[in-house]
Amino acid sequence: MHKIYTELMMSFETIVKILVIEDEPGLRDSIRDYFAESGNICETASEYETALQKINVYRYDCILLDITLPNGSGLDILEALKANHHPDGVLIISAKNSLDDRLRGLDLGADDYLTKPFHLSELKARVMAIVRRKSFNGNREIIFREITIDLLAKQVNVFGVSIKLTKKEYALLLYFVANKGKVISKNAIAEHLWGDEIDISDNFDFIYSHIKNLRKKLIEAGSGDYIQSTYGMGYKFRDH
Amino acid sequence: MKLLDRYNSLSLLTTILVIVVTGVIYYFSISYILTGQVDKDLEVEENEIFEYVKLNHALPQVFKSDDLIIHFTPIGGHGVTRRFSDCRFFDAHERDEESGRTLTSSVMVGQQLYRIEITESKVETEDLIRMIFFITLGIVFVLLTVLLLINRLVMRRLWQPFYRILKAIKLFNLADRNGIDPVNSHIDEFRDLNLEVTAMSQRVLQDYRSLKAFVENAAHELMTPLAVINSKLDTLMQVGEMNDKQGLLISEVYHTVGKLKKLNRSMLMLSRIENKLIAEREEIDLCQFIQDMVNEFQELLADRGIVISEGLKPCRIKINRDLLMIILNNLMGNAIQHNCKQGKIVIQLDQQGFSFCNTGAPVPLNEKQILQRFYKSPESEGSGLGLTLIKEICDSYGFSFRYAFRNNMHCFDISGI
Repeated sequence: MHKIYTELMMSFETIVKILVIEDEPGLRDSIRDYFAESGNICETASEYETALQKINVYRYDCILLDITLPNGSGLDILEALKANHHPDGVLIISAKNSLDDRLRGLDLGADDYLTKPFHLSELKARVMAIVRRKSFNGNREIIFREITIDLLAKQVNVFGVSIKLTKKEYALLLYFVANKGKVISKNAIAEHLWGDEIDISDNFDFIYSHIKNLRKKLIEAGSGDYIQSTYGMGYKFRDH
Repeated sequence: MKLLDRYNSLSLLTTILVIVVTGVIYYFSISYILTGQVDKDLEVEENEIFEYVKLNHALPQVFKSDDLIIHFTPIGGHGVTRRFSDCRFFDAHERDEESGRTLTSSVMVGQQLYRIEITESKVETEDLIRMIFFITLGIVFVLLTVLLLINRLVMRRLWQPFYRILKAIKLFNLADRNGIDPVNSHIDEFRDLNLEVTAMSQRVLQDYRSLKAFVENAAHELMTPLAVINSKLDTLMQVGEMNDKQGLLISEVYHTVGKLKKLNRSMLMLSRIENKLIAEREEIDLCQFIQDMVNEFQELLADRGIVISEGLKPCRIKINRDLLMIILNNLMGNAIQHNCKQGKIVIQLDQQGFSFCNTGAPVPLNEKQILQRFYKSPESEGSGLGLTLIKEICDSYGFSFRYAFRNNMHCFDISGI
């Protein structure tokens, strides 16, 4: 019983249906490619009318919504969605980091807000978090092979044995798992862990020690060696 | 020197000069007139003597009088020239010398020629002149004082609109987005000045706004292409089969795009703060907030062997959370980045403010220079806007933000919270 449940969870984690409402083709395609590669279903809409039609007919696990669209505002789409009591998760992506827009968006019922430009890995992590929160069974665990992450207790188990991670290592693991199979740049990792307001440079060598420690702890607990450095650009969490 | 004082001193000087000159003229004309009066009296006396001699063929009896002395002196030969002259007059009653006026003339009595000297005291005339002089002086003095006082009061009142306009100009701040309020005045000059100043402030504000809007729009517009570049780089990284050289190149481009992004965000943030677009505040336990932030940086500090010591007293503050975050993250980021290996960071907090001190270069920084936009030390990788952002935020909340070099440490103090 437990095994079936686990597998259900896993399939739910891996296949996600999202809608990208974004008028900038370059960005739209990048997002679609990034999400579609891991077997997710990713649809796109480039303008207001199409987007409105899609959200009225289909349901998505998460909608990525740009606020400034040709012939309409993303906030109106959000309002339409909420007026019809659709349960879709909404992540606003906007060039405006204006607090007003963010607050308005969140007031209208958006689940999260991401300011352009962003890292695709960050976007994915946010989307996955929304999907998890929205899932009907209140998905509180992420399971990746032998690694189980308890989101409520912020606890990580390998083969059922708990390992002790620092706050940053925990966040790092979560980030890696959400982006498994993808190369994540050092910048993206640094910004995810410390926010993007700070000017800490040194080529982000300082994240190396975090990754080294996390990797060591996982391997010592008997897990596979999933984290690998990729051509000096970043790190990848192998999914096979 | 104030216009009023300048005007007063000029008018006072002129008035005094005019009064002195007219006073002299006044004195001489009055004394001329009064001397003429005395001379007339003397002539009357002379005539009386002539009448008497004509009638009686003898010199009249001279009675001693306090203010009139008549002397007859027999002279031989021909007569004396009739003339008026000033002389000294001995007042027997007062027993002192006074000034007097003498008419010297001559009269024939029988065969004998007599010289007549009629002398009259001028003391009363002089008393009169003195009296007139003092009264006039008094009037002039009172008039002058009253005029000065009125000038002072009236002028001050009249200049009121000017001072109000001046104050408004002094308080005028582009970032406040308020123009200069019109000041009512019935004086044409002030009304014109006020009109022009108000119009000018509106024009300046308008220009400033459109400039700001341009900067903000430009920064916004840049965000989308940046997002595309960023996402394409993310996608490019997913392509396998790459060598380390290519990887390094991508990494460098990525890093640079990251810097561009931060620069852009800082610029947007700056213009938002300057435009006072960030209004909402909440009460924050600053002590807790700083501790949380220090914890966030713990690993980073440990990595560089930096020792941090805190002296935090409880303090609550009403501020925007995001802006406080920018201040603290920037201060902390700087303190770490510009520190030396095995360095120190000291954070102090009390009711008045807080300070971040760090070890680093052994020479003080130039306070003016470091607060300049886009200034950065040669080894810095930052945007050069970090301290500017802090300064702007502090200004917008009325805090003071200062740099000091104390005990070989670079200190950034924020006070007045």
